[in-house]
Amino acid sequence: MPEWRAELRRRLAPLGLSPVREAEILEELSQHLDDRYQELRSRGEADADARRIALAEVSESDRLTRELAAIEAPAPPVSAAIGQGTERGGGGHFLQDLRYGIRMLRMRPGFTAITVLTLALGIGANTAIFSVVNSVLLRPLPYPDSERLVSFWGTAPEKRLPVVNLPDALFVFLHEQSKTFEKLAAYASGGASLTGSGDPERVNASAVTPDFFTVMGVKPLFGRGFVAEEGTEGKARVAVLAHSVWRRRFGSDASIVGKPITLGGNPTVVVGIMPPGFDFPEGAEVWVPLVLNAEGLDNWYLSTVGRLKPGIRVQDAQREMAGLTDEFMLRQPARFPDAKRGSARMVAKPLRDEVVGEARTPLLILLGAVALVLLIASANIANLLLARAAARSREMAVRCCIGASPRRIAAQLLTESLLLAGAGAAAGLLLAFWGVRLLRGLSESRIPRLDQVRLDPIVLMFTVGVTVVAGLLFGLAPAIRASRVDLQDALREGGRAGTSGASRRLTNGFVVVQFALSLILLVGAGLLLRSFRHLLDVDPGFRAENVLVARIQLPESKYAEEAQVRAFYARLLESVRAVPGVLSVGLNQRVPFSGGNPQQNLYVEGQQAKPGEPIPVINSRNATPGYFAAIGTPILKGRGFEDSDNETAPPVVIVDETVAQRYWPGGDPLGKRIRTSLDTSARWMTIVGVAPNVKHASLNEQLNFELYRPFLQSVTWVNYLVIRSAIDPETLTPTIRRRVADLDPNLPVSEVHTMEQAVAGSLATRRLINALLTGFAVLAVLLAAIGIYGVMSLSVTGRLNEFGIRLALGAAPADVLRLVLRQGLLLALAGLAVGLAGAAWLTRFLGTLLFGVRPVDPVTFLGVAAVLGAVAAAACYLPARRATRADPIAALRRD
Amino acid sequence: MPDREWKKGSAELLLLSLLEHEPRHGYELNKLIESRSRGVLRYHVASLYPLLYRLERRGWIDGRWVEKAGQRRRRYYRLTPDGKRVLAAQRRSWTAFAQAISRIAGVQHA
Repeated sequence: MPEWRAELRRRLAPLGLSPVREAEILEELSQHLDDRYQELRSRGEADADARRIALAEVSESDRLTRELAAIEAPAPPVSAAIGQGTERGGGGHFLQDLRYGIRMLRMRPGFTAITVLTLALGIGANTAIFSVVNSVLLRPLPYPDSERLVSFWGTAPEKRLPVVNLPDALFVFLHEQSKTFEKLAAYASGGASLTGSGDPERVNASAVTPDFFTVMGVKPLFGRGFVAEEGTEGKARVAVLAHSVWRRRFGSDASIVGKPITLGGNPTVVVGIMPPGFDFPEGAEVWVPLVLNAEGLDNWYLSTVGRLKPGIRVQDAQREMAGLTDEFMLRQPARFPDAKRGSARMVAKPLRDEVVGEARTPLLILLGAVALVLLIASANIANLLLARAAARSREMAVRCCIGASPRRIAAQLLTESLLLAGAGAAAGLLLAFWGVRLLRGLSESRIPRLDQVRLDPIVLMFTVGVTVVAGLLFGLAPAIRASRVDLQDALREGGRAGTSGASRRLTNGFVVVQFALSLILLVGAGLLLRSFRHLLDVDPGFRAENVLVARIQLPESKYAEEAQVRAFYARLLESVRAVPGVLSVGLNQRVPFSGGNPQQNLYVEGQQAKPGEPIPVINSRNATPGYFAAIGTPILKGRGFEDSDNETAPPVVIVDETVAQRYWPGGDPLGKRIRTSLDTSARWMTIVGVAPNVKHASLNEQLNFELYRPFLQSVTWVNYLVIRSAIDPETLTPTIRRRVADLDPNLPVSEVHTMEQAVAGSLATRRLINALLTGFAVLAVLLAAIGIYGVMSLSVTGRLNEFGIRLALGAAPADVLRLVLRQGLLLALAGLAVGLAGAAWLTRFLGTLLFGVRPVDPVTFLGVAAVLGAVAAAACYLPARRATRADPIAALRRD
Repeated sequence: MPDREWKKGSAELLLLSLLEHEPRHGYELNKLIESRSRGVLRYHVASLYPLLYRLERRGWIDGRWVEKAGQRRRRYYRLTPDGKRVLAAQRRSWTAFAQAISRIAGVQHA
């Protein structure tokens, strides 16, 4: 038979028809010409003549082209048709594929919209979370060569002291001896009141050794840092201001450099202003020189930061610091009788890790969660594309017939997938942009550097990478499938949505994977939610509602004597008590969730610690008589403090239940005596009361030993005023400020907040992570439900004949329903089984985020599996119902 | 051979009426037209198929690929309900037209 296609194709080419349409016309017309040719031959025409006559019908004039041009779809945007001709240059193919891909996507707006939306959610979530990870965990600190900045500290886990700061003498020794550090600085953070030029204000002040700024590698914007001699006793008071304070308080006036301000009640000369963005220690607003006492061993309060010599590793520095500390202790046997080589333990960490702190684990978990969501979404899209590939198998076959190579077709389909992924990424970036702004606003969640989160080139590169991976993930299977299409089959089936065994297995596999991944996410979210529930149920040992607290700091320059401090606070308490709406008022040097736990050693009369056993540590705080009523901590046994527990009365103390149970199990602690120093001059304190254990740092803290001393017997300059009110406590704030100002107008009142805010604040990060993880898990389940629904729908459509025949042969609709449901549920169950195993292994990484539940919590695991099973059943029910309505007659007629 | 315009005007009616009772493919249609007109009418590929596609696009006929044992698949066209209505209307107007022509020109109606 002659070949007509070349001539016909030449006639059709100018029309720019879609490849499918063009192939159809080619087929039809060449058949006609075949018939005509045969007819002519049978009439006795010679081969060449028959061929010429037949062809003349098309090639005599340009009539065919003209006629068709008037009828066929107005030429689509581009005239290139895929699969025509054989291989040409690669670049041309790509553009052609791209244009064709765009056209295909525009032809199916519903499919395209669903796919792009799914991808946008997946890619958007990944981009948003990665931008947080990038800014918080990955991006270097804004200091030159910041990877060489290292912090180190001692550690004593056996005393439950994970972090032990250094005393002056040890730091001085390390500073002299260290060979791994180029420079070493120490700092101690605190607060100071800033007075004059505006309301008195408490600022975060850090005392730093003079070369602190040199270690950090940052020069002041104006003026200078500290010089060595400013780190010695008796020098004039100087300070360096943070950019924020300088702007807020001094109106960005550079002439402030060299002038005195009033800091902590003392005139202090400003010598420098730091540039914006210099934020170390975190939140520092003012830096003052730290005066070290080379002999000092009593106060273990110094934090460190050092700049490593180039090429030195953090572990080397850690080893050196531990060795030097051993040596330091061995040199002072009187002070460290137990010291031996290898006993000192030090931890050195890159400064960035220290800044990031505990945010690492939850952020990585979230990143893992969004990756799973994207995987599930990709599986859905792969299934959609597989279904479409089946529906388009005729198109592919026709293309094959007219000369497109399988590789060419696979490339075309992959281009379409990548195009989809690209569109999803574009929409996802919008979502991420919005999500990042939302996250950045959540400043109360205590994730460091969260305010610096932004979409930068690294994030965009990540997004592009994720997009390509996702596009390949969901595009590869359908592309390979389509390129292996069986021409005979595909053409014979005449476009029926048939699914081959291989593709059905693949599709089923995707459903299994989706359910497994969804289960893992849901289990993770479930465990966190249960932990949260447990945390909310924790009795903190106080009643947070209707309590207002405010921090007050008396400057020692003005209140030099303890008597002055006692007198001031007595008048303040009296004044506040008289405010209408105030039920009770008290003082404590620390309130729960305000940070910091003053710790001391505990010695119990008559109960010596065994040799070698660590001396127990106890959190110690003072309190006025009204404190317990104000914070809502009941006295369980004995009495609270009274006004008579003053400086002239015998020392008394209230301990918490944990101490009572540890030292006098079953006995009566009242009347027993304890002290906080071995020093024989320290007086024994008699226990007069027992308080419940109070959560001071966080709701999930372990049990600690706690003691309270009467304020009058243990005066502190800095205290929190604690007020329980009958009305909304926040409305009292202005009144309280006024009452304080009445007594001393230069006194800053800071950290004014309610206890409810403090408790909520301590849970904010957790709440945020819970919300995000739950959101991602719900999204995953939704996608999995859509996935199984789609697969079952397609399967039912393909088997409608079979169901019809079953019904015709007497099967009850319920049987068909059960058949379909069973098929779907088996897939879901397989997924759940895989997911349970995966979750059992993965949940251990939730670590400290769990509270009150074990990583393999049967309630959560089974509950989540049941929920997912129900979701699967619901998703399969609709297709199953459709199967029961299969028409037996139609089925029989069709076959 | 009649004028081209004649042929074009009548072609729609011819095709629709040939499809009235059963689906046929393009080659068959052409053969039928040729034989029933005793060789007077015959369409070229270049005009027959564009015409079929136009009728299909208007929704008067419907083309479907059909396979028969031992044959290549072929595209069969059948009349749609719309096509039936159009056919009836065209028949009426052709009849009226032909009668008018014969009354004026004295041509004997075939």
